[in-house]
Amino acid sequence: MSVENRVPSVRKQKIKKNHTKTRLIIFLILALALLLVAIFAQQLCPYDPNAQDTAMSLRPPSAAHPAGTDRFGRDMFSRILVGLQTSVLATLSLVVIITVIGTAVGVLCGYYGGIWDSVIMRISDVCLAFPGLVFALAIAALLNGGLHNAVLALAVISWPKYARIARSQTLAQKSVNYIAAAKLAGNNSIQVIVKHILPNCIGPILVTAMLDIGTMLMELAGLSFLGLGAQPPVAELGNMMSGGRSMLQTYPWVIIGPGIAIFIIVVIFNLLGDTVRDYLDPRNSRK
Amino acid sequence: MKPVLEIKNLTKTFVTEGKSDFTAVDHVSFQLYPGETLGIVGESGSGKSTLARIISRLIDATEGSVFLDGQDVTEIKGKKLRTYYKDIQMVFQSPVTSFDPRRSLGDGIGESLRNQGLSKKEAKKEALCLLQQCGLSSEFYERYPHEVSGGQCQRAAVARALAVKPQIVICDEATSALDVTVQQQMIELLRELKKERNLAYLFICHNLALVQMFCDRVLVMKDGKIVEEGTPDEVIMYPKDEYTKMLVKSVL
Repeated sequence: MSVENRVPSVRKQKIKKNHTKTRLIIFLILALALLLVAIFAQQLCPYDPNAQDTAMSLRPPSAAHPAGTDRFGRDMFSRILVGLQTSVLATLSLVVIITVIGTAVGVLCGYYGGIWDSVIMRISDVCLAFPGLVFALAIAALLNGGLHNAVLALAVISWPKYARIARSQTLAQKSVNYIAAAKLAGNNSIQVIVKHILPNCIGPILVTAMLDIGTMLMELAGLSFLGLGAQPPVAELGNMMSGGRSMLQTYPWVIIGPGIAIFIIVVIFNLLGDTVRDYLDPRNSRK
Repeated sequence: MKPVLEIKNLTKTFVTEGKSDFTAVDHVSFQLYPGETLGIVGESGSGKSTLARIISRLIDATEGSVFLDGQDVTEIKGKKLRTYYKDIQMVFQSPVTSFDPRRSLGDGIGESLRNQGLSKKEAKKEALCLLQQCGLSSEFYERYPHEVSGGQCQRAAVARALAVKPQIVICDEATSALDVTVQQQMIELLRELKKERNLAYLFICHNLALVQMFCDRVLVMKDGKIVEEGTPDEVIMYPKDEYTKMLVKSVL
């Protein structure tokens, strides 16, 4: 008779720790640092970003010019900092605009319903059915380029997504009894919306907005790349890449610098958005 | 005695495209007198809750009218409607979802008072007082709906309903989601409050035993119509209508 020599197996794998909060703090700090850099770009620039010096044109990165110089001898590092300011601030204002407008439209449509709801939702269907960037291109071209117009063009095509989310959230909340209770407590419609519906449907909207920052930055840079966004000599990451696109093989730093900047911004904001989503997930919050 | 609430010929028809119309409440008339507890019983889908929602003006009636103290309130809107809600309040079936998940219970109880112009401080004082009357300690002021039990939450809901000192409280299956002992406690609470404040209850329920214990008068509803009316003992001991007989039988 053989006795099996079995060693009792102990689970060696550690139970996965929840690092969401740490991640949130790290990415918030990173995003905040990025914002600070964007806000104080002018103060941080070692050189005037628009000062031309043809004698110094297209120099590779060195101690004096950490990111090299461009065709006109302008310091790339300074231009990237200022370009980052233009891009980030334009993107943030764009995301704030579409979030506010989309949410307001969606919540009002969901709450009141009726004919306006149908009309506005059909308009948003049209916007969603169209390839967004193409539509934005058309609008931006119609408005004659410029950073403001590019933001406007992207705002026009991007709000329906938020309106959709806000509307469906509102519809879900509207039928729950606490809204009826809020009415019985003597709130008028505006009070019901502001005090009860908005706070209960803002979570998913905020997460979408966070995740959209990266996308919007790229779309804005894309419009600028195509010459429909920021116009030279304004430094903007998209048009800087556009200006350097013929020199990728000969003077790569002219295009790689802004590219890396875009990459870093998009990654930080996307990771922040992901983390905020995880953090707000109800499965995560109950202890 | 003049009725505090009078319902005349109330009808609600739901119209859905592609489906035949559905009449949830069909020409219902009754009176509610001050200090009276009127029970409404009937199976699910008999129109009890729809009736409650019409009376509390959460939905509009198709036909008929509701009178409060002789005043027609069937179509009031805006400011007048908010004045109406000082006289009539409601306790809902599921206590937890009747509170805003992002606000504390105390906040919910004091909300109607703040809307009437009380300061935050006064509203809090009043809310704490109401919590105590409903048998909850002051620590519940800060609690959120998901942090308390169903029974405790329903007590808070009663406190909220009473905050504006209404004449009428509609209890829409207010005890159905609670377990039996807690149901008993709720009935005791409602009884005490009624004695103190001379409240009139519209007590919607499908538990006949509870109705027999608690109500002065009872209406039996079926398919949106009132099929029988009387004191609970009359209705339960000597039911006249076929449906009431069935209802009583199903419990025994």
